[in-house]
Amino acid sequence: MSTCPECGSDVALHDDLEVGEIVDCDTCGTELEVVDTAPAVLDRAPELSEDWGE
Amino acid sequence: MRVGILYSRIRKDEKLLLGELRERGHDVEKIDVRKHGFGLDDTDAAVADCDLVVDRCLATSRSKYATEFCRHYDVPVVNSPDTAAVCADKVRTSLALDDAGLPTPDTTVAFTTESALEAVESYGYPCVLKPVVGSWGRLMAKLDSRNAAEAVLEHKATLGHYEHKVFYIQDFVEKPGRDIRVLATDGEPVAAMTRSGDHWLTNAAKGAQTDSFEVDDEVAELVETASDAVGGGLLGVDLMETGARSAPEGATGDAEEPGAGYTVHEVNHTVEFKALNDASDVDVPAAVVDWLEDRAAAEVEVTP
Repeated sequence: MSTCPECGSDVALHDDLEVGEIVDCDTCGTELEVVDTAPAVLDRAPELSEDWGE
Repeated sequence: MRVGILYSRIRKDEKLLLGELRERGHDVEKIDVRKHGFGLDDTDAAVADCDLVVDRCLATSRSKYATEFCRHYDVPVVNSPDTAAVCADKVRTSLALDDAGLPTPDTTVAFTTESALEAVESYGYPCVLKPVVGSWGRLMAKLDSRNAAEAVLEHKATLGHYEHKVFYIQDFVEKPGRDIRVLATDGEPVAAMTRSGDHWLTNAAKGAQTDSFEVDDEVAELVETASDAVGGGLLGVDLMETGARSAPEGATGDAEEPGAGYTVHEVNHTVEFKALNDASDVDVPAAVVDWLEDRAAAEVEVTP
């Protein structure tokens, strides 16, 4: 469990969390980046950039 | 082996890859390229001790330069910066595919709105206008009329980054509601799927329905040639079925000429495979790690 930096709600997290992974806040819908896992810390994820892709 | 993963976001694809590597006991170094500097002599990114670095950067710009620096440091990296440079640029991809003699959609590049409109008119409607850099079907325009063409070209010229003033115009291919994605390692198909939908864009990222696809000899040959054309590596090769079974120009009329029924329209160098892993029976991350192990072993052999 961690806290959404946007709305302050609790965010439930799965066990195999990875730094760099993106999770959604179920309350406000903000995309959050996992910046640490021990303990879990979330930050607002970067906005989509034009050169992202595969 | 010690594997460096260049990344800026861990998608499900990277997570599958990380899981497979760790399960096999490999030492994984995650390298968030946003947190490092890459100098002419050295970097603070932990690439030096890696047997192999795998480029999984989400941003094409980072992918191109980070892999260049790895090569500069004599660190083995897949895919190669040469492959990245070709695949990241639709113009270079089209040229490479055409140079290799592959069927690929007829394409014209123009540098002004006037010459672009002339090219559009020469193709007729509909035709397609694509950004030279981009993915997931974004900023693709199907031009159905001259009015639409004039508007889109003006918007790109006025509002766009300089790359949007390189107008990449393509003949519209009447595909049968789907295209084909083949994931290949150095030209060898690993798994394939169709991506179907009602929209003219059938990218998985656009919500297309995915189904397993059996690679036939013709597709396998096209994929191998396309892989070679862009420098090889772990690639996602995209094809469309043209339905036109006539022989290509210059051929002697053999209706079963290889490549006659498909056109290769894209090759992706940081290929996503989560949808393919779900759609096919192949364990895609396992196959990818098999290939990475082979590549790392080959590097050890050539670097005593």
